Amino acid sequence: MISAFLNTALPLSFSSSSRSVKLTNHNDPGPKRTKLKFIINQERKFAFMPLKCIWNSDLEWNARNHSFCVSCLTATEVPLGSSEVVADRLGRVVSEFRSLTEPIDRVKRLLHYAALLPPVDESVRSQENRVAGCATQVWVEAELDELGRVRFGADSDSEISKGFCSCLIHLLDGAEPEEVAKVKPEDLADLNVGLHGKAHSRVITWHNVLIAMQKRTAALVAGSERERSPPLEQSFPSSLVATAEAQIPQSRWQKLDANLSRS
Amino acid sequence: MPPTPLQLFSSAMETAIHKLPSFKTINPSFYTARGTASFRVGLRRSSSSLSVSASADREGDQDLGHRTRPDFPILHQEVNGSKLVYLDNAATSQKPTAVLKTLQNYYESYNSNVHRGIHFLSAKATDEYELARKKVAAFINASDAREIVFTKNATEAINLVAYSWGLLNLKPEDEVILTIAEHHSNIVPWQLVAQKTGAILKYVTLNENGAPDIGNLKQMISRKTKIVAVHHVSNMLASVLPIEEIAHWAHDVGAKVLLDACQSVPHMAVNVQSLDVDFLVASSHKMCGPTGIGFLYGKSELLSAMPPFLGGGEMISDVYLDHSTYAEPPSRFEAGTPAIGEAIGLGAAIDYLSGIGMQNIHDYELELANYLHESLRAVPNIRIYGPVPSGSIRRAALCSFNVDNIHPTDIATFLDQQHGVAIRSGHHCAQPLHRSLGVSASARASLHFYNVKEDVDDFVRALKDTVSFFNSYK
Ligand SMILES: Cc1ncc(COP(=O)(O)O)c(C=O)c1O
Repeated sequence: MISAFLNTALPLSFSSSSRSVKLTNHNDPGPKRTKLKFIINQERKFAFMPLKCIWNSDLEWNARNHSFCVSCLTATEVPLGSSEVVADRLGRVVSEFRSLTEPIDRVKRLLHYAALLPPVDESVRSQENRVAGCATQVWVEAELDELGRVRFGADSDSEISKGFCSCLIHLLDGAEPEEVAKVKPEDLADLNVGLHGKAHSRVITWHNVLIAMQKRTAALVAGSERERSPPLEQSFPSSLVATAEAQIPQSRWQKLDANLSRS
Repeated sequence: MPPTPLQLFSSAMETAIHKLPSFKTINPSFYTARGTASFRVGLRRSSSSLSVSASADREGDQDLGHRTRPDFPILHQEVNGSKLVYLDNAATSQKPTAVLKTLQNYYESYNSNVHRGIHFLSAKATDEYELARKKVAAFINASDAREIVFTKNATEAINLVAYSWGLLNLKPEDEVILTIAEHHSNIVPWQLVAQKTGAILKYVTLNENGAPDIGNLKQMISRKTKIVAVHHVSNMLASVLPIEEIAHWAHDVGAKVLLDACQSVPHMAVNVQSLDVDFLVASSHKMCGPTGIGFLYGKSELLSAMPPFLGGGEMISDVYLDHSTYAEPPSRFEAGTPAIGEAIGLGAAIDYLSGIGMQNIHDYELELANYLHESLRAVPNIRIYGPVPSGSIRRAALCSFNVDNIHPTDIATFLDQQHGVAIRSGHHCAQPLHRSLGVSASARASLHFYNVKEDVDDFVRALKDTVSFFNSYK
């Protein structure tokens, strides 16, 4: 049993050559084998809640598919969802990104986080899990575990977006629903890559993902309380404009791809 | 070759300190077609832009990009520690000093509401606002300024036609022909109106060259067709539709044609009379003018027969408690206080573009278009959408593309962060087109006349670096 104290400000090595955390068996739906190697920055003081990793040295990991999100970073012996944990993690992620002044280092850090994002089942990439408004495709799913905590899974077709998702999951996976609701987009403004300080642009992935996580959490909580609560106001149907795409001969669509200018 | 108005003006200015650029005019008739009114504000070009352009002129054979760059102060900055390379012109263009000065002058010296006051400022604002309408009319060669309706942007102009003309004229089973390459702005309004009227939307697909299939479009036109609403230049494929022919086919069956000229009007001479389109829409912000203003051109007899789109002040002639009588076009369609300063700013942008000459802009951009396509094709594992340029196939100066296994947004992010190159990524408001191409997003580099070949070189070099960066992470 490894019991590593980890500073989640991720003193991991982030260059491409020495990525220190690798998740393998991406498509294996069964228990994941996770190869982990952490380089701990001794200089950092563990001023925050020490997080303890609870996997076996033979790396067998029997948790649910994505409940080990961001590996050790969420699996702690501290009761998950205590407000300090989310706040502490938030503080550390923010200061981590704030310390990276070179844009390329921020991108690299996000790509590193992307590599830490546990693979999710193909089924997560469904239309209802799509996060609206992102420039890339992002899928988020949320579930309440038996203790009433929210467990998140996410995926994206963009590596940078995956990095954002990974950070958010690291922050919020296993938190109480109220903790999830409490996080404000402004708190995360420092995660911006390329969009300095603009916390409200439609294209900012982490902003949209955070909102999606919060909405899904609210829906889960509302769902479990449905019997008691009055019905919601009927919302305007979002598929109002379903008309004539049927008029496009489908067979032509497929042909096109082969005919593109390619070199 | 007769002297252009600009040249005449510039010789009149010989005694002044600064000399105006005398752009070599390839098509002098272009100027005569546009009348003289449109040059009045052009004479007020800022001295700073004149002086730099004039020095460029002295150097003789500089290309249009190098000659005009000094007129765009925004281009001369660093972003993220690199020299800005702005290649997102299809999303919006930059504004020359002449336009900025016009806006400032409006707000500093004659800001006032139009058509409402008899006082000096209001009269002056009204004059300039209406002069801007005349400039737009001259720019696209409309026969009468009353055929120009100012709108917020092209999107609002299309909605105006879809709701006002569409709700009145479309019946169940009538057909509206669009292409799969339309911008969402030219799809969604028709979906909304089709839903209300029972009309059917038909979409032209792409041909084997990756451009909208003209044969397919021709076949689709029938007696059921009531309107053909298509783009002129595709904002993703860079392809150009033969609008004259399309209008001919449509009119043969009594159908109307709406032309989305957002990506053509800023880059080439567009003549509504020779194209014979019934409606044309464009946005000021893509043609070096301010945001918040666009226009609809509609043939007089059509506009006169159309009911108002929005209700309010300005568009009525008399209001009673139970009914109102409507003003004549274009006022009928301009409810409320319009974007006055912005319209006047658009007028200044038109003066600026006309001063260069749309044919000159088009010729230069054609060169850039080929250079961009050729340079990009050299990037490994790239897929460029749209037709391959050739002797007979011309492309606009933009390229949408994907590189294998790297998300276009990741590419755009890295280009911006590491290289200061601004390109667009996403679906460019053309999701049906992306879907038909089997992708959810693409990257797009789009140029304007103030771009230079060095911008393309910088971009392609940066793109290669970006690709190798992401590949090293695989
Ligand atoms: C071809 C085309 N049509 C319509 C539009 C919509 O223009 P706007 O958003 O200014 O109304 C655009 C702009 O992106 C465009 O490229």
